[in-house]
This record gives sequence, structure tokens and C-alpha cells, in this order.
Amino acid sequence: MSEKKGLMRFLAEYDRRIIYLLIFVVVIGPLLSPFILPISVSPDTQAYYNVIDKLGPNDIVMVVFDTEFSGFMELQSGILASMRVMIEKGAKMVIAVSHPEATGIPELVLNQLADVISRKQYTYGKDYVYLGYIFPNEAAVAATAQDFHGAVRQDYYGKSIEGTLLDKVKDWSSWSLISDYTTGIQSQALINHYGLRGTPMIVNCIGVMVATQKPYVSSGIYKALLQSMRGGAELEYLIGVPGPGLTAMNSFTLGHYVLIIFIVLGNIGYFGYTRYKQKPTGG
Amino acid sequence: MDLVEISITAVGAFISICMFTTLYGKSNPLYALAEESYIGFATGLTVVVNLLYIYRTGILGIQAGDTILIVGIILGIMILTRISKKYSYIARLPLAITIGAQFGLALRTTIFSGFIDQIKGTILPLFNTDMQSMIYNWTIAISVILMLTFFLYTMELKGPLGLGASIGEYIMYICFGAIFAQTFMGRLGLFVGFMQNYTVPPWKIPYLLGSLIIVFGAVMILDKLKLLEKLTPEE
Repeated sequence: MSEKKGLMRFLAEYDRRIIYLLIFVVVIGPLLSPFILPISVSPDTQAYYNVIDKLGPNDIVMVVFDTEFSGFMELQSGILASMRVMIEKGAKMVIAVSHPEATGIPELVLNQLADVISRKQYTYGKDYVYLGYIFPNEAAVAATAQDFHGAVRQDYYGKSIEGTLLDKVKDWSSWSLISDYTTGIQSQALINHYGLRGTPMIVNCIGVMVATQKPYVSSGIYKALLQSMRGGAELEYLIGVPGPGLTAMNSFTLGHYVLIIFIVLGNIGYFGYTRYKQKPTGG
Repeated sequence: MDLVEISITAVGAFISICMFTTLYGKSNPLYALAEESYIGFATGLTVVVNLLYIYRTGILGIQAGDTILIVGIILGIMILTRISKKYSYIARLPLAITIGAQFGLALRTTIFSGFIDQIKGTILPLFNTDMQSMIYNWTIAISVILMLTFFLYTMELKGPLGLGASIGEYIMYICFGAIFAQTFMGRLGLFVGFMQNYTVPPWKIPYLLGSLIIVFGAVMILDKLKLLEKLTPEE
């Protein structure tokens, strides 16, 4: 009996560092020997793919890195896969960021897409432009939606944007699509000043935001929503180019199993020890 | 790989693992080192990037003939008076204008994006659609009605209304579970992304594992020697 209680007590009060250690082991294990298994593609990802698949050389897409560097880790599979499709389709890209930490991200991404950029002869200025940090707050987003050239004069490298593909951009109506990769910094401002006016928007958000972003798909403000790294992995699977998303899926699966096991064990410990201990003894 | 890339990886792995020592459960000097390095880096970067933004948007704008931006620059300078006790009241004016402008910008649109369109998003076709969508749409419609019943505060919830409110309450618990699961997935996503960054390409792995052994080894030794608190700077 006391042995049983000892086990229950352990399940109720074990050192939480055991969970951290196990999560670390199950995450790093599959990453050290990556293997890719086929995954199912959700309707949300299919809808997202359908939107970017329809892009053509006459379309100008505003790609917004609406994230800090930590969020980029979760979004990078979606970013890489989406931008790969956009480049393949010949769509023009204007890249902007909304957080000082994100200013280094576009160059990292473009380096990883160097193969498709050189194969498609995708040229800076003619096919894509990097504007840097242009969205510090909602007022800045509103200004670009109203009069783009009044709010932005130079690209990230300090060169004038005159004579680039941005000559065709006047205001919110000039964009074929806004592709927002977000942890929620300026996504509401983009909705308020672009989405509500009718600029088509697609969004790749981090996992914690999915529940709050879904209604914007139902209301038609977002054309599609790509959910976290899982969505990125599905997009990689759809376009047939494995990347960081697909290789991470095994770590995700094992991590989720660990969580489920600990929830079950924790509840056994709660009902077998903690709750028993809390019962009033009477008298 | 070149020396610069190796240095970035080595320092990045070391500082990141130092940050992870917070999971050890005790304050330690390596965590403090990483935390304060990050604060310093982030502050420096934010100052530089924002100054660049002011230059490109404000100064270049004025030079291009957009003279109204001078007002913005003056208001911005007025905010700096906050550092003086004597003149800090001056900063209230630009702050009031900023809050007012932000409020005006948000008010004009949030009513649509945060309210009307959310309601529109809930009004879904319940018939004449495929089976899967029909199940989803019915679930959403019934759940919204039952959950709203739970939030009726001006009448006693009994009978069918009380039953509806109870079911609504349980639907909310299911919803909290789903949000918790999404949150866990999100946090795990951040961690997996970080780990990927230090395991791909494979030449980075020794730097990650080396940092892990050195940092956690050092923290455990300092803990055994009871030096953790002594060496950790006060907040």
C-alpha cells in the first residue's frame, strides 16, 4: 500500500525538470537523424496554396515579416515554401518588416532561396525589393495604405525606390496580395488599413494565434490561413520541396506524445495523491 | 562555412543554452549574462533601426518637400523632455496626440474587423454544402449560441436556458483545451525551430551539444558548491 502511495506521490510531485529533459531528448532525436514521412494536407493549407498558385508575373505581393526572430523559427518553413512558389510563378515581391529584430531575416531567407532565385533569374529591383523596417506602428501602416511613396522613399540598403517595381505601387489598391508572416505585431493594422479596404490577404501565423485568426478567414478578410510550422510542413509537402517544416514533424509528434503522457500521469497523481491529501480528515 | 559563420554559431548556441538554464529552476550567473546581453543587443538594435526609420521617413520626407513632417519631428523631440523632471510635462502633448491619433485610427476600423466581420464570419451556410462543412458550420453555430447563453447576466438561468448555459460552459472548457494544445504546439514550434537552426547543417551539432554540456555542467557544479546565488547579480 505504501509503495503504491509512493508511486502516486512521485506522479503528483515529480521534478518538472524531467519533463524538460524528455522534451529536449524527443525533439533533438529526430532532428539528428531526420526522415520524412508523408503527411495529410488540411483544407486550410490547400486553400492557402491555391491562392499563391494563382499568382503570375503581373502580380505584386507585399511580403511582411511581422515577427521577432524567435517567431521566425516557427514560421520559416511557411515563409520559405510560400516565397519559393511566388518566385517560381514570377510574382513580384516587396518585402517589409515590422520589428527591428526582423531586419536581418529577409536576407537569411533569400540566401536559402538562392537556387530558385538564380534559376528564375529573379532580379533585385525588377522582381523584388527589400524595404526594411517600415511598419513601426499602425500610423505607419495607414500611411503606406494611403500614399505609399509618401511614406517610403528608400529601400533597406538606402537606395531610392524610384525606378524599381514599386513605381507601379500607389496605395492599398496596387497590391495583388499581402502575405503576412506574423506573431501578431501589426497584423491587426494590416487588416484595418489594407484587408478591410479590399486588398487580398493571406497569413501564416504562430500556433498560439490560430484560434484568434481563424474567424478572419470565415469573414473573408483573409483569403487563407497557414497554421504554424505544421501548415508550413504541409505546404512543403504540397509543392514537393522538403524543408525545415517536414523534417520537424517527427519532433512535433513525439513532443505531443510526451505532453499527453505527462497529462495522464499528472492526473493519476492528482487523483491518487494530491486530492486524497487535500480531503478533510473530519473530527 | 567560414570563420564568421562558425563564430556566430558558437556564440549563438552558447548564449541560447545559457538562456535555457532558467529551466534549471534557480537563478544563475550564466542566465543573467545571456539575459543582459540580449537586453543590450535588442536596445542597441532598436535604437539604430528606429533612428534609421526617422531619417528615411521624416528627414528625407522633409527634404522632398513634405514639410508637415517637421511637426512630427518637433513633437518627437518634445517627448524627449520626459527625461527632465522640470520639463517632463511638455511630453504630455505629443503623447496625447499620439494616443488620440492611434485611437482614431483603430476606432474607425476595429468596429468592422473586431466586431461586425466576426459576427459575419459566424453566419455560415447550414445547408446546401458538403457534409464536412455542414458539420463544421452546425458545430460553430450551436456552440456560439450556447456559449452566449452562458453570458446572459440579467436573468436567472433555469430550465432549458440553464441547460443551454451548462452545455455552453462545457463547450468553453473544450475550447480552452484546444487553445492550450495550440499554445503547446506553438511553443514546441519555437523550440523545434531553434533546435533545427543548430542541427542543420550537421557541422553545427558539436557547438550545440558542447554548449549544452559546458553550460549545464557549470550550473550544476556551481549549485553543488552553493555558489549560484552568490555569483548571480541582483535584479
